[in-house]
Amino acid sequence: MSALRKALDWGKLAPLRLRAKTVADGVYAGGHRSRRRGAGIEFGGQRSYVPGDDLRFIDRHALLRHGTLLVRQFETETDRTLCLLVDASLSMSYRGEGAPGAKYAYAALIAAALCKIALGAGDRVSLDWLGGERTVELATAGGREAFERVVGALETAQPSADLKSDLPALERAVARVERRAGRGSTVVVLSDLLDLPAGAEVAIGALGTRGKTLSVARVLDPSEVDFPFTGPLHLRALEGDSRVETDAAAARPQYLAALEAQASHWSERLLSRGGSLVLLNSAEDPVKAVRKVLDSVGGLS
Amino acid sequence: MSFLVAAALGVGLFVAIPIAAHLLRRGRARERDFPPTALVPAARSVARERATLEDRLLLAIRALLIACLAVIGATPFVQCSRLSLTRSAGASVAFALVLDDSHSMRALAADGPRFERAMRAARELLASAREGDAIAIVLAGKPARLALAATTDLNAARRALRDLSESDRSTDLEAAVGLARTSIASVPHHDKRVVLLSDLAGPALSEAEGQPPLWAPVPELATPLENCAIFAAERRGRRIVAHIACTSPAAAAGRAVSLVGDKSGKPVPLMTRGGVQELGLDFDPKLTRAELELNGGDAQKGDDRCPLAAQSAALGVMVAADVSNASAETGGPPVLEQALGALESSAALHPIALLPDDVNEYRSNALLLLDDPGGITPEARSALGSFVEQGGVAVAFLGPRVEQTPLGATLEPFVHGAVHWESKGNGDVNAASLAWLGPEASSLQDLNLHGRAGLSTTDLLGGRILATFSDGQAFLAKRELGRGALFTVALPSSVEHGNFPLRPAFLALLDYFLNEARTRHGAAQSVAGSEWTFPLGASVSINGPRGPLAVREAPRASGSAHKAATPTFTGRYTLRIDDKPEERVVTVDPSEITTLPQKPPESATRARASANAGSVDASPELGFVALALLSLELGLRVFRRLTRERGVTSAALRS
Repeated sequence: MSALRKALDWGKLAPLRLRAKTVADGVYAGGHRSRRRGAGIEFGGQRSYVPGDDLRFIDRHALLRHGTLLVRQFETETDRTLCLLVDASLSMSYRGEGAPGAKYAYAALIAAALCKIALGAGDRVSLDWLGGERTVELATAGGREAFERVVGALETAQPSADLKSDLPALERAVARVERRAGRGSTVVVLSDLLDLPAGAEVAIGALGTRGKTLSVARVLDPSEVDFPFTGPLHLRALEGDSRVETDAAAARPQYLAALEAQASHWSERLLSRGGSLVLLNSAEDPVKAVRKVLDSVGGLS
Repeated sequence: MSFLVAAALGVGLFVAIPIAAHLLRRGRARERDFPPTALVPAARSVARERATLEDRLLLAIRALLIACLAVIGATPFVQCSRLSLTRSAGASVAFALVLDDSHSMRALAADGPRFERAMRAARELLASAREGDAIAIVLAGKPARLALAATTDLNAARRALRDLSESDRSTDLEAAVGLARTSIASVPHHDKRVVLLSDLAGPALSEAEGQPPLWAPVPELATPLENCAIFAAERRGRRIVAHIACTSPAAAAGRAVSLVGDKSGKPVPLMTRGGVQELGLDFDPKLTRAELELNGGDAQKGDDRCPLAAQSAALGVMVAADVSNASAETGGPPVLEQALGALESSAALHPIALLPDDVNEYRSNALLLLDDPGGITPEARSALGSFVEQGGVAVAFLGPRVEQTPLGATLEPFVHGAVHWESKGNGDVNAASLAWLGPEASSLQDLNLHGRAGLSTTDLLGGRILATFSDGQAFLAKRELGRGALFTVALPSSVEHGNFPLRPAFLALLDYFLNEARTRHGAAQSVAGSEWTFPLGASVSINGPRGPLAVREAPRASGSAHKAATPTFTGRYTLRIDDKPEERVVTVDPSEITTLPQKPPESATRARASANAGSVDASPELGFVALALLSLELGLRVFRRLTRERGVTSAALRS
């Protein structure tokens, strides 16, 4: 057991390797059909020709019969790259009462499970980070060794760094993912979306363009979802120097409304770029959480 | 203070711990990490304010709890200063409370009136009494009185104590201590003591070392206080004479006397000296029921005012004696006047040559002494009768002139008919018949007499023989007439007719007559605590400064009874005696002002020290307090938990 694991509150989510395999086994996963239409074996329909289309796929029969230029489309089973972007900023180390572990631990479990599923399906996986210390970025790779490397990297990393005012760092991380993820790749971002710099939703939303599928899984602690506190409170943010003295009963409705508004804002921004937002509670069953993420990227469809 | 006491009290320093904890927690309501803090709005916390109050309450409770535990730990080394009785081997005790209810005890000390402090001490002592203890209560205001005979009934003692009140009496501490010692002398208790609750403003106790021992548990009562008082004010013609007493020159400095309501009059400043002084003021005839007032303030505000007496305060005595016959051979005033001067310094002597024909001439006099009257004319007889009926006392010392009464004059109302002068009579007075006069009666034996008036029972007009000669003939007769009395002595006051005036019994007789006069006539001014007596048949009602004054029936030493009333507060009293109005003024004894408090007798102080300062172990009470504080803290904690749970439940319901 590494010293870093001692520092991070893994709680009931350790050991990650076994838990990830268990979660992956619980999720039905098989060969998934690519939505990408193009060169392939099985006919997938027609569409109007637009300049630039490959002339080899012009449907001659339709041209002769109807006098209209149509392009034949085919569905093909193909490998998709899964690009994981895990938030390892300091706020992800938070674990409230009733949570099985820290938010990072939960996100790492989900990431490892997704990795296991993707690798099982023959896809390749890459791993990048938002913040964090001792983080190891993994280039796109496949096979059993890739899972071990991903799990090792997830276990080694330690939530750290204050991204609140560090937009360039976030943009650098996004750029790395951008470079790794080609057309047809699936990008899964695991983050609490808290204490990110202004403009983060734009930078992260850009990952959903150029034929990539983007799913942002927001991982929150149960106490962040329910705000179960009572009486006078003196709260301190883990990133930035935000401190608030308040009364729990009075602040709760406004907090929940602000949290929902923030989620709506992210959801709208992501949808406009073809992405989706998945809300995860670190207290909920990881299997269901993984299914929700897979549903958002169409993995089970 | 021993090491154990210091160590136990040192536990009290732990009070600092909850205080420090409170200070550390104050204003930091459970700071905690919460990543989405930016989404939480700041809000003024009602709950926090409530919690702050609760925290302070908890802090107070915990601090008090620790302090209680420290004091309990030090018990029995540390004890509170409440008075209590100490017991030798836990045995019952008998104690007589001598409570001084004199005027000086009304002085206002730093912690309230002295009398209230004494009463508080008495209550504390009584509270520490147990079943089996014997208690007597004696009041040291003059005359000393037994308020409660020695009893083991503690409830009766509490009731008696509750009924006691202050007064303006003089101090009679010596008699009170004697009475207290007597009152508990017969109780079987081994441990007896006399508790002295007095300012000791009076003569030094001559028997301080007697048994049972004295204990003065409240020495602060004897703290000297500055005071001035107008103790008498009387009108003399168009002038008013104010008698003022001050404790010290400092008390008199800067103060002045004025007539209340007389705006034109100028206040007369006091001489800056202690003791008694007399000041004269102009009398304003427009003022009715005039009062004098001392400006400024002192320890007793109540004695800074004094009503003006209608008559002189001195007892008026008229003496009708022939200077040529009734004087000593060496000259000077008549023997009667000399004797009165030696006996009663405050009596105002009015020598007269002839008996007044008008009763008004008797005004302001209470006693008439007639030496060897040669007959009383009808007019004088009538005036004399009226004087006696209104409470005057007349005494006739019969001499040889009883046989020389002129035509139309008689010796009535003293005796009826002719009285013979017996040149050679029996020389002895029957001392047994005069025993009521006191030990001086025996001095009337072996008298060298030149003669005596022969009084037979038929001549006395229903009077009573109070004393006889050894042969049975009347020596002294008394006749009641209205409110007054007539006394007839069968011997003259002149030394020419024998050595009777030279015997101590002569002075004792004069003193008896003065007392009778004072009692029957009633001085226009008297000292608080002096008894006013009235004939048994008279209808008497008295209204004083504090409402009606009770008139009681009291027995006399001679066996007869009379009505009596004792004014205990200074001020103006209105009397109605047989529907005749009368006004009297009660004043304070100047010695109550001028006599400074004395230190308690050394033996009383020693007794106090040996009695462990009369302190009481308060650890049971402190234990109960600690228990109550503990319960309070537990209750508060349960309350806080319940309110917190309720808050969580409602928050969950809202979500």
